[in-house]
Amino acid sequence: MEVLETIFNVSLIAAMLRTTTPILLVALGGTFTTKAGIFNIGLEGQMLLGAFFAVLGSLWTQSAWGGVAIGVLAAMCVALTFSFFVVTLRANEVVVGLALNILAGGLTITLTKAIFGTRGSIVSGDIVGLPRLHIPVIEDLGSLGKALGSFTPLIYLAFILVFVVWVIIYRTKLGLYIRVAGEKPAAAEALGIPTGLMQHIASLLCGVLAGLAGAHLSLGYITMFAENMSSGRGFMAVAVLIFSAGDPVKVLFGCLLFGFADALSLRLQTFGLSSYLVLTVPYLVTLGALFLLTYRQRPKIFRETAESLQLIRREKA
Amino acid sequence: MAFAVEMIGVSKSFGPVAANRDVSFGVRHGEIHALVGENGAGKTTLMNILFGLMQPDSGEIRIDGKPVVMESPRTSIGLGLGMVHQHFKLVPSLTVAENMFLGMEITKAGLVDRKAQSEKARALSEEFGLRIDPDRRIHELSVGAEQRVEILKVLARGANVVILDEPTAVLTPQESRDLFRIIRRFADTGMTVIFISHHLDEVLEVSDTVTVLRDGAVVGTRPTKELDEDSLVNMMVGRQVNFDRRERKKMSGNTVLELRDVFARDDRGLPALRGIDLEVRAGEIVGIVGVDGNGQTELSEVVSGLRAPSHGEIFLDGKAVEGSDPRHMRAAGLAHVPADRLVRGVNPGADIASNILMGRQHVAPWAKKGLIRWGKVRELARELMQRFDIRAKDEHVAVKTLSGGNMQKVVVAREFSQHMPLLLIDQPTRGVDIGAMEGIHDEIIRRRDAGAAILLISVQIDEILALADRVLVMFNGGISGEVDPANTTEEEIGYLMAGGSRSKEAAA
Ligand SMILES: Nc1ncnc2c1ncn2[C@@H]1O[C@H](COP(=O)(O)OP(=O)(O)OP(=O)(O)O)[C@@H](O)[C@H]1O
Ligand SMILES: [Mg+2]
Repeated sequence: MEVLETIFNVSLIAAMLRTTTPILLVALGGTFTTKAGIFNIGLEGQMLLGAFFAVLGSLWTQSAWGGVAIGVLAAMCVALTFSFFVVTLRANEVVVGLALNILAGGLTITLTKAIFGTRGSIVSGDIVGLPRLHIPVIEDLGSLGKALGSFTPLIYLAFILVFVVWVIIYRTKLGLYIRVAGEKPAAAEALGIPTGLMQHIASLLCGVLAGLAGAHLSLGYITMFAENMSSGRGFMAVAVLIFSAGDPVKVLFGCLLFGFADALSLRLQTFGLSSYLVLTVPYLVTLGALFLLTYRQRPKIFRETAESLQLIRREKA
Repeated sequence: MAFAVEMIGVSKSFGPVAANRDVSFGVRHGEIHALVGENGAGKTTLMNILFGLMQPDSGEIRIDGKPVVMESPRTSIGLGLGMVHQHFKLVPSLTVAENMFLGMEITKAGLVDRKAQSEKARALSEEFGLRIDPDRRIHELSVGAEQRVEILKVLARGANVVILDEPTAVLTPQESRDLFRIIRRFADTGMTVIFISHHLDEVLEVSDTVTVLRDGAVVGTRPTKELDEDSLVNMMVGRQVNFDRRERKKMSGNTVLELRDVFARDDRGLPALRGIDLEVRAGEIVGIVGVDGNGQTELSEVVSGLRAPSHGEIFLDGKAVEGSDPRHMRAAGLAHVPADRLVRGVNPGADIASNILMGRQHVAPWAKKGLIRWGKVRELARELMQRFDIRAKDEHVAVKTLSGGNMQKVVVAREFSQHMPLLLIDQPTRGVDIGAMEGIHDEIIRRRDAGAAILLISVQIDEILALADRVLVMFNGGISGEVDPANTTEEEIGYLMAGGSRSKEAAA
């Protein structure tokens, strides 16, 4: 019992919200492209470049918000490149997305070396991290309030954005056009709604949020940049998006699940379990849970797969 | 006075296929102008060019006498054009109202005001007599209802030139008459209408002028009052087509399909079928008529295994059908021509041969040891293309590039050539021209004479009366009566379609 109490306590919830934030931000970005009918596997690279340039920006401008702005701009540049290839030139979205991911990985390493002469990471006391907000009303609520009342602004923003993104997608003209462009482009074209433009806008919005996610990674709780610091969160976001079909509310739950498992694994590490093993936990838990959640919704796909497998076996026999 | 719409010397080719050849015609203000021609004559292509969905290879378009370049539908919509497309351009996951107001949303404080849109849509639907529930999602609707949405969408936009590409293909005669009354009213107030139809009676009844296309070229433009059905057919196909009333055969084989007390719910969970009892015997055509939305869609889905009945039993060849699964139904002997060919009938991106193959990919001689024998499949495809008069260069042509009627023929050819004991046919001749319609009707009769049990659903009452051996009328999810097609009257059917039942009639 004691062990459980040390694992599950208020600070675990606080940690969970912290670890949920980056994947939530980037996945919310991905809702726009998902709804616009683009399979955006390049989230990882956008987030990584966002993290890198947020650190650079913070050093240049000596301001955390300057850093965030530059990180977001960088991610938007990647997003625009992505949509230029995919929408304007009609290139394959998976190929372009993967290429940009690889480019982002290489570029951050090269630039780190070129600018700072170091390998792997940028650590400096001069990087200005995001301030913690102290919200008195929440802080007054006892120990839980203490844990929840002093986050960096991006964490609060991420959860507010769930609602904002929902409103944009389901209640505004822009969101409507983005959905139509993704679901039935012929209908949009016949009414004079430019589908290409909608997809570019969706990609740019995605870039903004991916940039914020990156900035949260490098300026949020630790103020540094490390090689490949997005560590697959962009890909997890893609998985969450597939299972949620880009619905912001379902995205929130998928990401919370991931954040919880992530926070739990951090906690477990302090118990001396092998860190390699522990680090796989969040990914396994999230994928497993998403699979179970959607298993019942998609009986047809699974049934059909099972049937074709049977068929192949029968034909072999 | 200048024409409201004029097309001069318009040509358009798709590779080797010349869809439009030097087409010129003009439409006067306030006129109802019919465009007719066989499947693949180039009607849809011509209208797509006028609407800016396609660019002509050469030629000129004038609106009110002024030359214009229709770069995209944005240009044409800006010039006051509206179009009802042959293959609907509706967004399945959005509601009726959202689709109607797409591109011209009513907003409040920056957000789409869905309540206001719903109310306006309802008002429009009532004003124009096109029944529709504005809050339903498109994917829950029958094709007839989708057609009404598509028409309302254009009427809501208040266009001054309206193009209607086969607006009545899935409307009942009554609905078509209502639609044309509305159109007449609009034309009298100065709206210009171009409409395409294969129903020549309709064309002769409502249009002022007719332009006939054949093989992409204009055969002629005539005032309607100078024409009759024969002369029109002659212009369209260049030969005589005879319409015989078919001989009916009294025949009763064993029961192939039986529904006992079947209930089912629609996508919203509301009861759509209420206690259907039905029997189709070998060698018999049972026709179903009814106003669209009275359970025909659900009936066809239940029989094809796409929808599970909530109560009741279905027997195929005397055996109860377990569960509901299209694949089991097909394996048990069902061939199915669905109402919406693009959604359930064809794989538009694939070629004709692959589409013909669908459903027999596991069966010899088209497959052997798990491998497809394409030589055989292509041979079959070529043979069917000839038998069903599918107009395309060869069997490698992608189905999505076929004209609407030719797509329909691909579906019919595939299903009819399976030689299944049970045929479920939903709108068999949607969008096919009169020549091909006769061909399909002949094939239906031939399948019946070969001993197939046929359940025929159509909004074209004439078609049902001409083909069916027994006719059942559906109302509100139930069967309101059975009539003998040989000596029934339109009044009798109309009465049953409106829900009057035989017993009540007798009591009154
Ligand atoms: N996108 C396309 N690519 C290639 N060929 C096409 C394309 N669209 C139409 N065609 C061809 O152009 C010809 C005319 O087609 P169109 O759709 O205009 O005929 P239609 O008169 O509307 O016939 P229907 O009455 O069957 O609808 C047909 O031979 C068709 O196969
Ligand atoms: Mg057509």
